[in-house]
Amino acid sequence: MNRVVNVARMQLINKWTFLGIPAIIMVSAFLITLAIWAMIPASGETFYSGASQAVMWYFMALGIQSLTLTFPFSQAMSVSRRTFYIGTVGLFATVALVISVLYYLLGLVEVATNGWGFNGQLYALDWIANEHAVVQILFYFIAMVALFMIGFWFATIYKRWQATGMLLTWIAIAVVLIGLLGLTSWQGWWPLVGQWFVAQTPLSVSAWAALFCAVLAGGSYLTLRRATP
Amino acid sequence: MNNPTTPAAIELRQVTKTYRDAKALDEVSLRLEGNRIYGLLGRNGAGKTTLMSVLTGQGFQTSGEALVFGQRPYENDGVLSRICFIRESQKYPDDFNARQAFKSASLFFKQWDQAFADQLVEEFQLPLNRRIKKLSRGQLSAVGVIIGLASRAEITFFDEPYLGLDAVARQIFYDRLVEDFAAHPRTIILSSHLIDEVANLLEHVVLIDRGRIIMDDDAEAIRGTAVTVAGNASAVQSFAAGREVLHRESLGSLASWTVEGRMTNAERAEAAELGLELAPVSLQQLVVRKTMAATDAVVDTDSELEVLK
Repeated sequence: MNRVVNVARMQLINKWTFLGIPAIIMVSAFLITLAIWAMIPASGETFYSGASQAVMWYFMALGIQSLTLTFPFSQAMSVSRRTFYIGTVGLFATVALVISVLYYLLGLVEVATNGWGFNGQLYALDWIANEHAVVQILFYFIAMVALFMIGFWFATIYKRWQATGMLLTWIAIAVVLIGLLGLTSWQGWWPLVGQWFVAQTPLSVSAWAALFCAVLAGGSYLTLRRATP
Repeated sequence: MNNPTTPAAIELRQVTKTYRDAKALDEVSLRLEGNRIYGLLGRNGAGKTTLMSVLTGQGFQTSGEALVFGQRPYENDGVLSRICFIRESQKYPDDFNARQAFKSASLFFKQWDQAFADQLVEEFQLPLNRRIKKLSRGQLSAVGVIIGLASRAEITFFDEPYLGLDAVARQIFYDRLVEDFAAHPRTIILSSHLIDEVANLLEHVVLIDRGRIIMDDDAEAIRGTAVTVAGNASAVQSFAAGREVLHRESLGSLASWTVEGRMTNAERAEAAELGLELAPVSLQQLVVRKTMAATDAVVDTDSELEVLK
Protein backbone atom coordinates (compact mmCIF):
# COMPACT_ATOMS: atom_id res chain seq x y z
CA MET A 1 0.00 0.00 0.00
CA ASN A 2 2.80 2.32 0.97
CA ARG A 3 4.43 1.80 -2.42
CA VAL A 4 1.16 2.60 -4.19
CA VAL A 5 1.08 5.95 -2.38
CA ASN A 6 4.73 6.46 -3.28
CA VAL A 7 3.93 5.93 -6.97
CA ALA A 8 1.39 8.75 -6.67
CA ARG A 9 4.01 10.89 -4.90
CA MET A 10 6.51 10.11 -7.66
CA GLN A 11 4.01 11.27 -10.29
CA LEU A 12 3.63 14.48 -8.26
CA ILE A 13 7.35 15.21 -7.84
CA ASN A 14 7.06 17.48 -10.82
CA LYS A 15 4.10 19.56 -9.66
CA TRP A 16 3.42 20.95 -13.13
CA THR A 17 2.28 17.79 -14.86
CA PHE A 18 -0.67 16.84 -12.68
CA LEU A 19 -1.42 20.12 -10.92
CA GLY A 20 0.15 23.20 -12.52
CA ILE A 21 -0.75 22.64 -16.15
CA PRO A 22 -4.40 21.64 -15.49
CA ALA A 23 -4.78 24.73 -13.30
CA ILE A 24 -3.33 26.98 -16.01
CA ILE A 25 -5.58 25.42 -18.66
CA MET A 26 -8.69 25.87 -16.50
CA VAL A 27 -7.93 29.46 -15.55
CA SER A 28 -6.90 30.55 -19.04
CA ALA A 29 -9.87 28.80 -20.73
CA PHE A 30 -12.15 30.63 -18.30
CA LEU A 31 -10.55 34.04 -18.79
CA ILE A 32 -10.40 33.73 -22.58
CA THR A 33 -14.07 32.74 -22.67
CA LEU A 34 -15.00 35.78 -20.54
CA ALA A 35 -12.94 38.03 -22.81
CA ILE A 36 -14.73 36.73 -25.90
CA TRP A 37 -18.14 37.18 -24.29
CA ALA A 38 -17.20 40.72 -23.29
CA MET A 39 -16.34 41.56 -26.90
CA ILE A 40 -19.56 40.21 -28.44
CA PRO A 41 -22.43 42.69 -28.19
CA ALA A 42 -25.18 41.34 -25.94
CA SER A 43 -28.30 40.29 -27.82
CA GLY A 44 -30.25 38.89 -24.89
CA GLU A 45 -29.48 35.32 -25.94
CA THR A 46 -27.46 32.86 -23.87
CA PHE A 47 -23.76 32.47 -24.75
CA TYR A 48 -22.56 28.87 -24.85
CA SER A 49 -18.95 27.79 -24.51
CA GLY A 50 -17.21 24.45 -24.67
CA ALA A 51 -14.05 25.83 -23.03
CA SER A 52 -14.63 23.83 -19.87
CA GLN A 53 -13.75 20.70 -21.87
CA ALA A 54 -10.22 21.93 -22.47
CA VAL A 55 -8.77 20.44 -19.31
CA MET A 56 -10.49 17.11 -20.00
CA TRP A 57 -8.61 16.71 -23.27
CA TYR A 58 -5.40 17.47 -21.45
CA PHE A 59 -6.13 14.40 -19.37
CA MET A 60 -5.95 12.22 -22.46
CA ALA A 61 -2.45 13.56 -23.08
CA LEU A 62 -1.72 12.99 -19.41
CA GLY A 63 -2.77 9.34 -19.74
CA ILE A 64 -0.26 8.93 -22.56
CA GLN A 65 2.49 10.79 -20.71
CA SER A 66 2.17 9.06 -17.37
CA LEU A 67 2.71 5.75 -19.11
CA THR A 68 5.34 6.48 -21.73
CA LEU A 69 7.51 8.65 -19.51
CA THR A 70 6.98 7.31 -16.04
CA PHE A 71 6.47 3.58 -16.54
CA PRO A 72 10.05 2.79 -17.63
CA PHE A 73 11.34 4.89 -14.75
CA SER A 74 9.03 3.17 -12.26
CA GLN A 75 10.55 -0.15 -13.35
CA ALA A 76 13.98 1.21 -12.44
CA MET A 77 12.52 2.18 -9.07
CA SER A 78 11.72 -1.53 -8.61
CA VAL A 79 7.97 -0.95 -8.65
CA SER A 80 5.78 -3.79 -9.89
CA ARG A 81 3.47 -3.08 -12.81
CA ARG A 82 0.44 -3.61 -10.58
CA THR A 83 1.65 -1.07 -8.02
CA PHE A 84 2.50 1.42 -10.76
CA TYR A 85 -0.95 0.97 -12.29
CA ILE A 86 -2.91 1.37 -9.07
CA GLY A 87 -0.84 4.34 -7.92
CA THR A 88 -1.09 6.16 -11.24
CA VAL A 89 -4.76 5.52 -11.95
CA GLY A 90 -5.59 6.22 -8.28
CA LEU A 91 -3.82 9.58 -8.34
CA PHE A 92 -5.50 10.48 -11.57
CA ALA A 93 -8.95 9.52 -10.26
CA THR A 94 -8.35 11.74 -7.22
CA VAL A 95 -7.38 14.72 -9.38
CA ALA A 96 -10.39 14.09 -11.66
CA LEU A 97 -12.71 13.97 -8.65
CA VAL A 98 -11.38 17.27 -7.31
CA ILE A 99 -11.89 18.94 -10.69
CA SER A 100 -15.38 17.45 -11.01
CA VAL A 101 -16.41 18.93 -7.66
CA LEU A 102 -14.83 22.23 -8.70
CA TYR A 103 -16.85 22.21 -11.93
CA TYR A 104 -20.03 21.60 -9.99
CA LEU A 105 -19.24 24.49 -7.64
CA LEU A 106 -18.32 26.78 -10.55
CA GLY A 107 -21.65 25.80 -12.13
CA LEU A 108 -23.44 27.01 -8.98
CA VAL A 109 -21.54 30.30 -9.09
CA GLU A 110 -22.35 30.63 -12.78
CA VAL A 111 -26.07 30.29 -12.16
CA ALA A 112 -25.97 32.63 -9.17
CA THR A 113 -24.13 35.34 -11.11
CA ASN A 114 -26.37 35.13 -14.14
CA GLY A 115 -23.70 33.46 -16.25
CA TRP A 116 -20.75 35.50 -14.97
CA GLY A 117 -22.71 38.64 -15.76
CA PHE A 118 -22.83 37.81 -19.47
CA ASN A 119 -25.72 35.33 -19.48
CA GLY A 120 -23.14 32.70 -20.49
CA GLN A 121 -23.03 28.96 -20.01
CA LEU A 122 -19.63 27.47 -19.38
CA TYR A 123 -20.03 25.02 -16.51
CA ALA A 124 -23.76 24.79 -15.79
CA LEU A 125 -24.72 23.43 -19.20
CA ASP A 126 -28.50 23.15 -19.60
CA TRP A 127 -28.39 19.46 -20.21
CA ILE A 128 -26.88 18.59 -16.82
CA ALA A 129 -27.29 21.65 -14.60
CA ASN A 130 -30.73 20.56 -13.43
CA GLU A 131 -29.55 17.15 -12.31
CA HIS A 132 -28.76 16.21 -8.74
CA ALA A 133 -25.30 17.35 -7.55
CA VAL A 134 -24.02 13.77 -7.38
CA VAL A 135 -25.08 13.08 -10.96
CA GLN A 136 -23.34 16.23 -12.19
CA ILE A 137 -20.10 15.42 -10.40
CA LEU A 138 -20.27 11.80 -11.50
CA PHE A 139 -20.77 12.85 -15.12
CA TYR A 140 -17.69 15.09 -15.17
CA PHE A 141 -15.66 12.51 -13.28
CA ILE A 142 -16.50 9.62 -15.60
CA ALA A 143 -15.84 11.74 -18.67
CA MET A 144 -12.36 12.63 -17.43
CA VAL A 145 -11.52 9.09 -16.36
CA ALA A 146 -12.65 7.78 -19.77
CA LEU A 147 -10.35 10.21 -21.60
CA PHE A 148 -7.43 9.42 -19.31
CA MET A 149 -7.91 5.66 -19.71
CA ILE A 150 -8.11 5.98 -23.51
CA GLY A 151 -4.76 7.78 -23.53
CA PHE A 152 -3.29 5.34 -21.03
CA TRP A 153 -4.38 2.22 -22.89
CA PHE A 154 -3.23 3.45 -26.29
CA ALA A 155 0.15 4.34 -24.81
CA THR A 156 0.35 0.88 -23.23
CA ILE A 157 -0.46 -0.81 -26.53
CA TYR A 158 2.26 1.24 -28.17
CA LYS A 159 4.73 0.42 -25.40
CA ARG A 160 4.04 -3.29 -25.74
CA TRP A 161 3.64 -3.81 -29.48
CA GLN A 162 5.05 -0.56 -30.94
CA ALA A 163 3.80 0.80 -34.25
CA THR A 164 2.49 -2.56 -35.45
CA GLY A 165 0.20 -2.86 -32.44
CA MET A 166 -1.02 0.70 -32.87
CA LEU A 167 -1.78 0.13 -36.54
CA LEU A 168 -3.64 -3.13 -35.93
CA THR A 169 -5.63 -1.54 -33.10
CA TRP A 170 -6.79 1.33 -35.31
CA ILE A 171 -7.63 -1.04 -38.15
CA ALA A 172 -9.63 -3.21 -35.74
CA ILE A 173 -11.49 -0.17 -34.36
CA ALA A 174 -12.27 1.03 -37.90
CA VAL A 175 -13.50 -2.41 -38.96
CA VAL A 176 -15.76 -2.71 -35.90
CA LEU A 177 -17.21 0.79 -36.38
CA ILE A 178 -17.83 0.31 -40.09
CA GLY A 179 -19.36 -3.08 -39.34
CA LEU A 180 -21.72 -1.53 -36.80
CA LEU A 181 -22.68 1.29 -39.16
CA GLY A 182 -23.28 -1.19 -41.97
CA LEU A 183 -25.35 -3.46 -39.76
CA THR A 184 -27.47 -0.53 -38.56
CA SER A 185 -28.15 0.65 -42.11
CA TRP A 186 -28.83 -2.85 -43.38
CA GLN A 187 -31.27 -3.64 -40.61
CA GLY A 188 -32.88 -0.18 -40.84
CA TRP A 189 -32.13 0.54 -37.18
CA TRP A 190 -31.31 4.25 -37.54
CA PRO A 191 -34.65 5.51 -36.16
CA LEU A 192 -34.19 3.23 -33.14
CA VAL A 193 -30.64 4.48 -32.66
CA GLY A 194 -31.89 8.07 -32.87
CA GLN A 195 -34.56 7.39 -30.25
CA TRP A 196 -32.01 5.72 -28.01
CA PHE A 197 -29.68 8.70 -28.09
CA VAL A 198 -32.49 11.18 -27.42
CA ALA A 199 -33.64 9.10 -24.47
CA GLN A 200 -30.23 9.25 -22.75
CA THR A 201 -29.91 11.25 -19.55
CA PRO A 202 -26.70 12.45 -17.89
CA LEU A 203 -27.04 9.56 -15.46
CA SER A 204 -27.47 6.90 -18.14
CA VAL A 205 -24.62 8.39 -20.19
CA SER A 206 -22.48 8.22 -17.05
CA ALA A 207 -23.45 4.61 -16.55
CA TRP A 208 -22.52 3.67 -20.12
CA ALA A 209 -19.30 5.63 -19.86
CA ALA A 210 -18.52 3.94 -16.55
CA LEU A 211 -18.91 0.56 -18.23
CA PHE A 212 -16.61 1.78 -21.01
CA CYS A 213 -14.10 2.96 -18.39
CA ALA A 214 -14.16 -0.43 -16.67
CA VAL A 215 -13.37 -2.13 -20.00
CA LEU A 216 -10.57 0.37 -20.66
CA ALA A 217 -9.16 -0.03 -17.16
CA GLY A 218 -9.18 -3.84 -17.37
CA GLY A 219 -7.70 -3.79 -20.87
CA SER A 220 -4.97 -1.35 -19.82
CA TYR A 221 -4.00 -3.45 -16.84
CA LEU A 222 -3.84 -6.70 -18.81
CA THR A 223 -1.79 -4.99 -21.53
CA LEU A 224 0.57 -3.47 -18.97
CA ARG A 225 1.08 -6.82 -17.20
CA ARG A 226 3.39 -8.00 -19.98
CA ALA A 227 4.81 -4.68 -21.14
CA THR A 228 8.56 -4.19 -20.95
CA PRO A 229 10.17 -0.85 -20.11
CA MET B 1 11.17 -24.30 -0.70
CA ASN B 2 11.94 -27.44 1.32
CA ASN B 3 15.60 -26.52 1.22
CA PRO B 4 16.55 -25.89 4.86
CA THR B 5 19.41 -23.52 4.04
CA THR B 6 18.71 -19.92 3.09
CA PRO B 7 17.99 -19.56 -0.61
CA ALA B 8 20.66 -18.16 -2.89
CA ALA B 9 20.46 -14.45 -3.68
CA ILE B 10 20.01 -15.38 -7.31
CA GLU B 11 19.12 -18.66 -8.92
CA LEU B 12 18.36 -19.40 -12.54
CA ARG B 13 17.08 -22.79 -13.60
CA GLN B 14 17.30 -23.57 -17.30
CA VAL B 15 16.20 -20.09 -18.28
CA THR B 16 15.67 -19.61 -21.99
CA LYS B 17 14.65 -16.38 -23.66
CA THR B 18 13.82 -16.48 -27.34
CA TYR B 19 13.31 -13.40 -29.43
CA ARG B 20 11.71 -13.81 -32.81
CA ASP B 21 14.83 -15.09 -34.53
CA ALA B 22 17.43 -15.55 -31.82
CA LYS B 23 18.04 -17.14 -28.47
CA ALA B 24 19.13 -14.40 -26.06
CA LEU B 25 19.41 -16.91 -23.22
CA ASP B 26 19.89 -20.60 -23.82
CA GLU B 27 19.06 -22.85 -20.87
CA VAL B 28 21.01 -20.76 -18.40
CA SER B 29 21.41 -22.25 -14.95
CA LEU B 30 23.24 -20.17 -12.40
CA ARG B 31 23.40 -19.81 -8.65
CA LEU B 32 24.90 -16.73 -7.03
CA GLU B 33 25.33 -16.36 -3.28
CA GLY B 34 24.74 -13.01 -1.62
CA ASN B 35 27.14 -10.30 -0.43
CA ARG B 36 29.73 -10.53 -3.16
CA ILE B 37 30.74 -8.50 -6.18
CA TYR B 38 30.08 -10.34 -9.42
CA GLY B 39 31.26 -9.46 -12.89
CA LEU B 40 28.82 -10.31 -15.65
CA LEU B 41 31.01 -10.27 -18.72
CA GLY B 42 30.38 -10.93 -22.36
CA ARG B 43 30.19 -9.32 -25.76
CA ASN B 44 27.46 -6.99 -26.96
CA GLY B 45 24.31 -9.00 -27.50
CA ALA B 46 25.62 -11.94 -25.46
CA GLY B 47 22.55 -11.80 -23.22
CA LYS B 48 23.76 -9.75 -20.23
CA THR B 49 20.95 -7.19 -20.22
CA THR B 50 18.35 -9.86 -20.95
CA LEU B 51 19.61 -11.86 -17.98
CA MET B 52 19.34 -8.84 -15.67
CA SER B 53 15.91 -7.95 -17.04
CA VAL B 54 14.58 -11.41 -16.30
CA LEU B 55 16.03 -11.30 -12.77
CA THR B 56 14.35 -7.99 -12.03
CA GLY B 57 10.96 -8.92 -13.48
CA GLN B 58 11.38 -6.24 -16.15
CA GLY B 59 11.62 -8.79 -18.95
CA PHE B 60 10.19 -12.27 -19.36
CA GLN B 61 11.85 -15.59 -19.95
CA THR B 62 10.37 -17.95 -22.52
CA SER B 63 10.92 -20.95 -20.25
CA GLY B 64 12.72 -21.89 -17.07
CA GLU B 65 12.65 -20.29 -13.67
CA ALA B 66 14.37 -17.22 -12.22
CA LEU B 67 14.44 -16.85 -8.45
CA VAL B 68 15.65 -13.96 -6.33
CA PHE B 69 15.91 -14.66 -2.60
CA GLY B 70 14.07 -17.89 -3.43
CA GLN B 71 11.06 -16.14 -4.95
CA ARG B 72 9.91 -15.18 -8.41
CA PRO B 73 10.61 -11.46 -8.90
CA TYR B 74 7.88 -10.80 -11.47
CA GLU B 75 5.21 -8.50 -9.98
CA ASN B 76 6.59 -9.32 -6.53
CA ASP B 77 6.97 -6.00 -4.69
CA GLY B 78 8.44 -7.75 -1.66
CA VAL B 79 11.41 -8.99 -3.68
CA LEU B 80 11.60 -6.05 -6.08
CA SER B 81 11.94 -3.55 -3.23
CA ARG B 82 15.25 -5.23 -2.33
CA ILE B 83 16.66 -4.92 -5.88
CA CYS B 84 17.96 -1.99 -7.89
CA PHE B 85 18.53 -2.22 -11.63
CA ILE B 86 19.29 0.90 -13.64
CA ARG B 87 19.52 0.10 -17.33
CA GLU B 88 22.30 1.27 -19.56
CA SER B 89 19.63 3.03 -21.65
CA GLN B 90 17.49 3.98 -18.64
CA LYS B 91 14.62 6.33 -19.47
CA TYR B 92 13.63 9.13 -17.11
CA PRO B 93 10.47 11.23 -17.21
CA ASP B 94 11.11 14.01 -19.75
CA ASP B 95 10.51 16.82 -17.32
CA PHE B 96 12.65 15.39 -14.49
CA ASN B 97 15.97 16.77 -13.39
CA ALA B 98 18.50 14.71 -11.46
CA ARG B 99 17.32 16.06 -8.11
CA GLN B 100 13.81 14.81 -8.83
CA ALA B 101 15.09 11.41 -9.94
CA PHE B 102 16.96 11.06 -6.64
CA LYS B 103 13.89 12.15 -4.72
CA SER B 104 11.94 9.35 -6.43
CA ALA B 105 14.63 6.87 -5.55
CA SER B 106 14.46 7.97 -1.91
CA LEU B 107 10.75 7.07 -1.91
CA PHE B 108 11.28 3.52 -3.08
CA PHE B 109 14.62 2.34 -1.71
CA LYS B 110 14.45 1.82 2.03
CA GLN B 111 18.21 2.05 2.52
CA TRP B 112 18.57 5.21 0.41
CA ASP B 113 21.40 7.38 1.75
CA GLN B 114 20.86 11.01 0.75
CA ALA B 115 24.19 12.18 2.20
CA PHE B 116 26.01 9.57 0.11
CA ALA B 117 24.05 10.65 -2.98
CA ASP B 118 24.97 14.30 -2.32
CA GLN B 119 28.63 13.39 -1.97
CA LEU B 120 28.53 11.48 -5.28
CA VAL B 121 26.79 14.38 -7.04
CA GLU B 122 29.65 16.58 -5.88
CA GLU B 123 32.30 14.13 -7.03
CA PHE B 124 30.73 13.49 -10.44
CA GLN B 125 30.08 17.25 -10.82
CA LEU B 126 26.52 16.49 -11.83
CA PRO B 127 24.22 19.48 -12.45
CA LEU B 128 21.18 18.79 -10.28
CA ASN B 129 18.74 21.28 -11.74
CA ARG B 130 19.26 20.60 -15.42
CA ARG B 131 16.65 18.43 -17.12
CA ILE B 132 17.91 14.88 -17.50
CA LYS B 133 17.24 14.81 -21.23
CA LYS B 134 19.64 17.73 -21.62
CA LEU B 135 22.50 15.95 -19.80
CA SER B 136 25.52 14.57 -21.64
CA ARG B 137 25.94 10.80 -21.97
CA GLY B 138 28.44 10.76 -19.14
CA GLN B 139 26.21 12.80 -16.84
CA LEU B 140 23.30 10.52 -17.68
CA SER B 141 25.42 7.53 -16.68
CA ALA B 142 26.33 9.34 -13.46
CA VAL B 143 22.63 9.67 -12.55
CA GLY B 144 22.26 5.89 -12.89
CA VAL B 145 25.45 5.19 -10.97
CA ILE B 146 24.39 7.45 -8.11
CA ILE B 147 20.96 5.83 -7.85
CA GLY B 148 22.59 2.39 -7.93
CA LEU B 149 25.12 3.21 -5.21
CA ALA B 150 23.01 5.36 -2.88
CA SER B 151 20.01 3.01 -3.00
CA ARG B 152 22.13 0.38 -1.18
CA ALA B 153 19.70 -2.26 -2.43
CA GLU B 154 20.47 -5.80 -1.31
CA ILE B 155 21.07 -6.72 -4.94
CA THR B 156 22.27 -3.97 -7.23
CA PHE B 157 22.74 -4.44 -10.96
CA PHE B 158 25.01 -2.08 -12.85
CA ASP B 159 24.50 -2.47 -16.60
CA GLU B 160 27.54 -0.98 -18.37
CA PRO B 161 27.39 1.89 -15.89
CA TYR B 162 30.37 3.84 -17.18
CA LEU B 163 29.26 4.78 -20.74
CA GLY B 164 30.51 8.27 -21.47
CA LEU B 165 32.18 8.60 -18.06
CA ASP B 166 35.74 9.86 -18.24
CA ALA B 167 38.61 7.95 -16.64
CA VAL B 168 38.48 10.06 -13.46
CA ALA B 169 34.75 9.53 -13.02
CA ARG B 170 35.14 5.79 -13.63
CA GLN B 171 37.84 5.61 -10.98
CA ILE B 172 35.58 7.48 -8.54
CA PHE B 173 32.85 4.94 -9.27
CA TYR B 174 35.16 1.97 -8.67
CA ASP B 175 36.57 3.50 -5.47
CA ARG B 176 33.19 4.40 -3.97
CA LEU B 177 31.78 1.02 -4.95
CA VAL B 178 34.52 -0.85 -3.11
CA GLU B 179 34.44 1.44 -0.04
CA ASP B 180 30.68 1.33 0.26
CA PHE B 181 30.61 -2.40 -0.33
CA ALA B 182 33.05 -2.85 2.56
CA ALA B 183 30.89 -0.71 4.86
CA HIS B 184 27.56 -2.12 3.66
CA PRO B 185 28.05 -5.59 2.21
CA ARG B 186 25.52 -6.46 -0.45
CA THR B 187 25.31 -8.24 -3.77
CA ILE B 188 26.65 -6.26 -6.70
CA ILE B 189 26.36 -7.47 -10.27
CA LEU B 190 28.46 -5.41 -12.61
CA SER B 191 28.14 -5.94 -16.32
CA SER B 192 31.13 -4.52 -18.10
CA HIS B 193 33.21 -4.37 -21.25
CA LEU B 194 36.18 -2.75 -19.58
CA ILE B 195 37.34 -5.98 -18.02
CA ASP B 196 40.86 -4.91 -17.12
CA GLU B 197 39.50 -1.87 -15.29
CA VAL B 198 37.09 -3.83 -13.14
CA ALA B 199 39.16 -7.02 -12.80
CA ASN B 200 40.43 -6.06 -9.35
CA LEU B 201 36.93 -5.37 -8.01
CA LEU B 202 35.43 -8.67 -8.99
CA GLU B 203 35.23 -11.57 -6.60
CA HIS B 204 33.45 -13.84 -9.03
CA VAL B 205 33.15 -13.85 -12.79
CA VAL B 206 30.29 -15.04 -14.94
CA LEU B 207 31.06 -15.03 -18.65
CA ILE B 208 28.16 -15.26 -21.03
CA ASP B 209 28.37 -15.84 -24.76
CA ARG B 210 25.49 -16.29 -27.19
CA GLY B 211 23.11 -16.77 -24.30
CA ARG B 212 25.21 -19.47 -22.63
CA ILE B 213 27.32 -19.32 -19.51
CA ILE B 214 30.81 -20.32 -20.55
CA MET B 215 32.61 -19.41 -17.34
CA ASP B 216 31.35 -19.20 -13.77
CA ASP B 217 34.10 -19.14 -11.19
CA ASP B 218 35.86 -17.14 -8.51
CA ALA B 219 38.11 -14.47 -9.93
CA GLU B 220 40.99 -15.84 -7.85
CA ALA B 221 40.52 -19.33 -9.29
CA ILE B 222 40.21 -18.02 -12.83
CA ARG B 223 43.40 -15.98 -12.74
CA GLY B 224 45.57 -19.10 -12.73
CA THR B 225 43.56 -21.17 -15.16
CA ALA B 226 45.47 -20.22 -18.27
CA VAL B 227 49.00 -19.31 -19.10
CA THR B 228 50.84 -17.95 -22.09
CA VAL B 229 53.73 -20.09 -23.25
CA ALA B 230 56.27 -18.33 -25.44
CA GLY B 231 59.44 -19.51 -27.09
CA ASN B 232 60.66 -21.71 -29.88
CA ALA B 233 57.69 -22.88 -31.95
CA SER B 234 58.43 -26.59 -31.85
CA ALA B 235 59.16 -26.47 -28.11
CA VAL B 236 55.90 -24.63 -27.51
CA GLN B 237 54.07 -27.20 -29.57
CA SER B 238 55.51 -30.15 -27.67
CA PHE B 239 54.87 -28.46 -24.32
CA ALA B 240 51.27 -27.69 -25.28
CA ALA B 241 50.58 -31.21 -26.51
CA GLY B 242 47.53 -32.66 -24.84
CA ARG B 243 46.38 -29.28 -23.51
CA GLU B 244 43.47 -27.11 -24.53
CA VAL B 245 44.95 -24.29 -26.62
CA LEU B 246 42.89 -21.10 -26.50
CA HIS B 247 45.01 -19.02 -28.79
CA ARG B 248 47.97 -19.37 -31.13
CA GLU B 249 50.29 -16.62 -32.28
CA SER B 250 53.56 -17.00 -34.09
CA LEU B 251 56.29 -14.87 -35.54
CA GLY B 252 58.91 -16.70 -37.60
CA SER B 253 60.21 -19.57 -35.53
CA LEU B 254 58.80 -18.08 -32.34
CA ALA B 255 55.36 -18.93 -30.98
CA SER B 256 53.19 -17.68 -28.18
CA TRP B 257 50.28 -19.92 -27.24
CA THR B 258 47.65 -19.45 -24.59
CA VAL B 259 46.94 -22.81 -22.98
CA GLU B 260 44.38 -23.73 -20.38
CA GLY B 261 45.29 -25.41 -17.14
CA ARG B 262 47.20 -24.77 -13.96
CA MET B 263 50.94 -25.22 -14.03
CA THR B 264 52.46 -27.51 -11.45
CA ASN B 265 55.99 -26.90 -10.25
CA ALA B 266 57.18 -29.84 -12.32
CA GLU B 267 55.61 -28.35 -15.40
CA ARG B 268 57.17 -25.00 -14.69
CA ALA B 269 60.53 -26.69 -14.43
CA GLU B 270 59.90 -28.52 -17.69
CA ALA B 271 59.04 -25.26 -19.40
CA ALA B 272 62.21 -23.66 -18.10
CA GLU B 273 64.23 -26.60 -19.37
CA LEU B 274 62.73 -26.21 -22.85
CA GLY B 275 63.65 -22.52 -22.73
CA LEU B 276 60.01 -21.44 -22.67
CA GLU B 277 58.62 -18.43 -20.90
CA LEU B 278 55.41 -18.74 -18.90
CA ALA B 279 53.37 -15.59 -18.40
CA PRO B 280 50.10 -15.11 -16.55
CA VAL B 281 47.06 -14.22 -18.64
CA SER B 282 45.02 -11.18 -17.65
CA LEU B 283 41.31 -11.63 -16.99
CA GLN B 284 40.53 -9.60 -20.09
CA GLN B 285 42.82 -11.75 -22.26
CA LEU B 286 41.29 -14.89 -20.80
CA VAL B 287 37.75 -13.68 -21.44
CA VAL B 288 38.61 -12.73 -25.01
CA ARG B 289 40.35 -16.06 -25.70
CA LYS B 290 37.57 -18.07 -24.04
CA THR B 291 34.86 -16.26 -25.96
CA MET B 292 36.70 -16.65 -29.26
CA ALA B 293 37.38 -20.32 -28.56
CA ALA B 294 33.67 -20.83 -27.81
CA THR B 295 32.76 -19.08 -31.05
CA ASP B 296 35.17 -21.30 -32.98
CA ALA B 297 33.65 -24.37 -31.34
CA VAL B 298 30.17 -23.27 -32.41
CA VAL B 299 31.42 -22.63 -35.95
CA ASP B 300 33.13 -26.03 -35.98
CA THR B 301 29.99 -27.88 -34.88
CA ASP B 302 28.01 -25.93 -37.43
CA SER B 303 30.34 -26.88 -40.26
CA GLU B 304 30.42 -30.49 -39.07
CA LEU B 305 26.66 -30.50 -39.22
CA GLU B 306 26.87 -29.05 -42.70
CA VAL B 307 29.20 -31.92 -43.73
CA LEU B 308 26.83 -34.50 -42.23
CA LYS B 309 23.99 -33.09 -44.30
